Amino acid sequence: MMHSLIQLSIVVLLLPLLSFVVLIFFNRRLPRMGDFVGVGMLGTAFAISLYIFWNVVVQHYDPAFRVAWDFTWLDFGNVPGVGPLQVKMGIVIDNMTAIMLAMVTLISLLVHVYSTGYMQGDPKYGRFFAYLGIFTFSMLGIVLSDNLFSIYMFWELVGLSSYLLIGFYFYKDSAADAQKKAFLTNRVGDIGMWLGILILYSQFHTFGYQEIFENIAAGKFNMSNAWLTAAGILLFMGCVGKSAQFPLHVWLPDAMEGPTPVSALIHAATMVAAGVYFVGRIFVILTPDALHFIAFIGAVTAFMSATIAITQHDIKRVLAYSTVSQLGYMVMGLGVGAYSAALFHLLTHAFFKACLFLGSGAIIHAMHHEQDMRWMGGLRKQMPWTFATFSIATLALAGLPLTSGFMSKDAILAGALGFASVEGGGIYYIIPVLGFASAAMTAFYMGRQVWLVFFGESRTHLKPAEEHHDDHAHDAHGHDDHGHDDHGSHHGVHEVAWNMRLPLVILATLSTFVVFSPDPLDGAKGWFMHLVPTPSTVIKSEAPKEAVAAVGGKLLAEASTDAAHPAATEAGAEAHGEAAGGHGPVFSDPRQAEIAHATHANHYTAIYLSSGMLVIGIGLALIVYAFGVIDPNRTAQAIRPLYLFSFNKWYWDEIYDATLIKGSMLISRMLAWFDSNIVDGIVNGVATIFRKIAFGMGNVDKYVVDGAVNFTAFFVQTSGAVMRKIQTGKVQTYLVMVMVAVLTYFAVYFVQLMK
Amino acid sequence: MEMFTAIGLNHFLTISAILFSLGMFAVMTRKNAIVILMGVELILNAANINFLTFSKYNGGMEGVMFSLFVIVLAAAEAAVALAIVINIFKTFKTVDVSSVDTMKE
Repeated sequence: MMHSLIQLSIVVLLLPLLSFVVLIFFNRRLPRMGDFVGVGMLGTAFAISLYIFWNVVVQHYDPAFRVAWDFTWLDFGNVPGVGPLQVKMGIVIDNMTAIMLAMVTLISLLVHVYSTGYMQGDPKYGRFFAYLGIFTFSMLGIVLSDNLFSIYMFWELVGLSSYLLIGFYFYKDSAADAQKKAFLTNRVGDIGMWLGILILYSQFHTFGYQEIFENIAAGKFNMSNAWLTAAGILLFMGCVGKSAQFPLHVWLPDAMEGPTPVSALIHAATMVAAGVYFVGRIFVILTPDALHFIAFIGAVTAFMSATIAITQHDIKRVLAYSTVSQLGYMVMGLGVGAYSAALFHLLTHAFFKACLFLGSGAIIHAMHHEQDMRWMGGLRKQMPWTFATFSIATLALAGLPLTSGFMSKDAILAGALGFASVEGGGIYYIIPVLGFASAAMTAFYMGRQVWLVFFGESRTHLKPAEEHHDDHAHDAHGHDDHGHDDHGSHHGVHEVAWNMRLPLVILATLSTFVVFSPDPLDGAKGWFMHLVPTPSTVIKSEAPKEAVAAVGGKLLAEASTDAAHPAATEAGAEAHGEAAGGHGPVFSDPRQAEIAHATHANHYTAIYLSSGMLVIGIGLALIVYAFGVIDPNRTAQAIRPLYLFSFNKWYWDEIYDATLIKGSMLISRMLAWFDSNIVDGIVNGVATIFRKIAFGMGNVDKYVVDGAVNFTAFFVQTSGAVMRKIQTGKVQTYLVMVMVAVLTYFAVYFVQLMK
Repeated sequence: MEMFTAIGLNHFLTISAILFSLGMFAVMTRKNAIVILMGVELILNAANINFLTFSKYNGGMEGVMFSLFVIVLAAAEAAVALAIVINIFKTFKTVDVSSVDTMKE
């Protein structure tokens, strides 16, 4: 019997798909190109998700809540050499799923509503909603999947929707390039993810999370722990691609070529967070080594993109790098073991970053597709709603106390501090240091952005005239038919209509602390951290080593870094259990327990430090942009190499172009040469030999076989010509011949008779 | 000179041979189809004489029967052959067999 929540979740999953199918086929025949279908379906889906959320989160309020259901989708029977091969599909609903379900459908609904304003007049208006539908379907699939196989399928589907939506204005070369770049970069990560899935499948012959966890917990992973680390890192590769982590982060900023609602929905709030969600799903099977790797990648990503965001001019690019940076935070949070904090940040970030993107969309819309912050300014008065919501979201992103972002970011940073103190080594302090530095830079670049966009005087008139030709795409968009009345005056900027304002207000409301926790300083007191506790790892930190040692001891060298402190941490874990007083779960794994304990201990340190960073960042932004004490342009000149390094995005595109792209082009050319000269040479040589042989055979045929046949014909013809002369056609001649023959016979007869 | 006084087998056969030779000569040399037919009649009658001669000297009736058949056949043959000759004449406007040689080559 299917649980009623499962049934409802299937309805939620299929509604956006239905919206896609209806809209992709019938959008031109429906009134208003069918936007009400998309909005209506999503509204229904959101309503049901909200019911599920209410049922799971509010009514049950149980950290261990979990309902699951699956069925065998493909049954290949007993495959020789592989064993029984069954692919199951299933749905799991736990607290995280319920929360994600509500979050995704809410943001998708808001983006649908917003798009009815933003995309108005676009010739492909209906198709846009269809794409949003299939994206939402795939994203919900990722959220609901209970196994690696189906999550991989939906993973690729969100990749497809992302591809379609980035290239929505495909007639622009930049959009077409960006869509290809995004797709190809994601493939790199997905290959790794698939290999990781295969490593796990080869061991357990199942794709289901729960079965894999149970098998690993039962010690059925028969290869060395290095393989498990490899599996974890390979699965994390999927997250690196999808969540735009270093070194595959290059696609996300380019993905801003898509329409702004898409940037908000896919490239800020949901899809890119899917990588984090996925790593969260497989969190318990990640070995300490894999977690270290993940933590460093996350920290580097967070820091690097924060430095890049400081110097960008495009309003969406700043937000894009900020997104990469925040995703880096989440990944870092997972890596340091602050699972709940990372997923909390995922949720809070989704709301305030969606708000920021929709706000920037409103600005871009109002500014007639001007995206360069240098030519904005002074929008505070014209767009008060956008200004207010954008500011709240900015403060949440920067991590001001009383916002949601403060709680989640603080929890991650506390986790990083705790992790570093437990790992003990100086090198591990790089992670929290990078985290805090990024926090300061986040505050700085967001302060810069708000100031450049909303304060001061309008700088629209400062825009160099020759750059206007860049705007030719604007006319091609078909955006000329704005919903505003101010179409005639290019400089008239007005607040956007209600359907674009409403989502901003809702999202800004959801960026405040009250939604998540009663205590503005401690997210751990809120419902989220209670319902999504950090799960206990299923990796046994000592047992595998003993097993390996018992086998022969030859692999002892592989014993991972945390071999030193198993015994000491038991005491720590107990102490934590007493001290914490129901603060989070008690872990059986000593390392995890110790980190949890240290995290808790570092809670206030993190608050002080991150608040300090916030003050530094915003203060610097105010000093530079508001008070004009330091001239940004002169500073940029003074530290020109650093400025260019940041402005050119750490030259990653150039580095990839010089190495990977040129390299693969070179290899391709070499292979092409090999192909055309060696392979084709062999083929052509063989062909030549056969041609010669065939000519020989042809001659034999022509002169011997045909000769015999022709000679026969010739002989018959010649003899026939001779014989023909005898045939006079006169009966008398024949009669004479008969006579002669008879007489000859007689003559011979008589001669013989004489003898 | 019994050979000359009593008519015996050799006389009949000689007559027959002479008659056959004349018929053969006519068939081989004449160009007129009618004359050739007449030669054929001579050959047939020479054969008839041979049949009757051997029948007489053997003392049976088979030769007589055969010669009656031959006569009947000759009548039929003459009828058919004349019809052919008439058709040849209608086609070629001649009964000269040397000029009726369209089968040649």
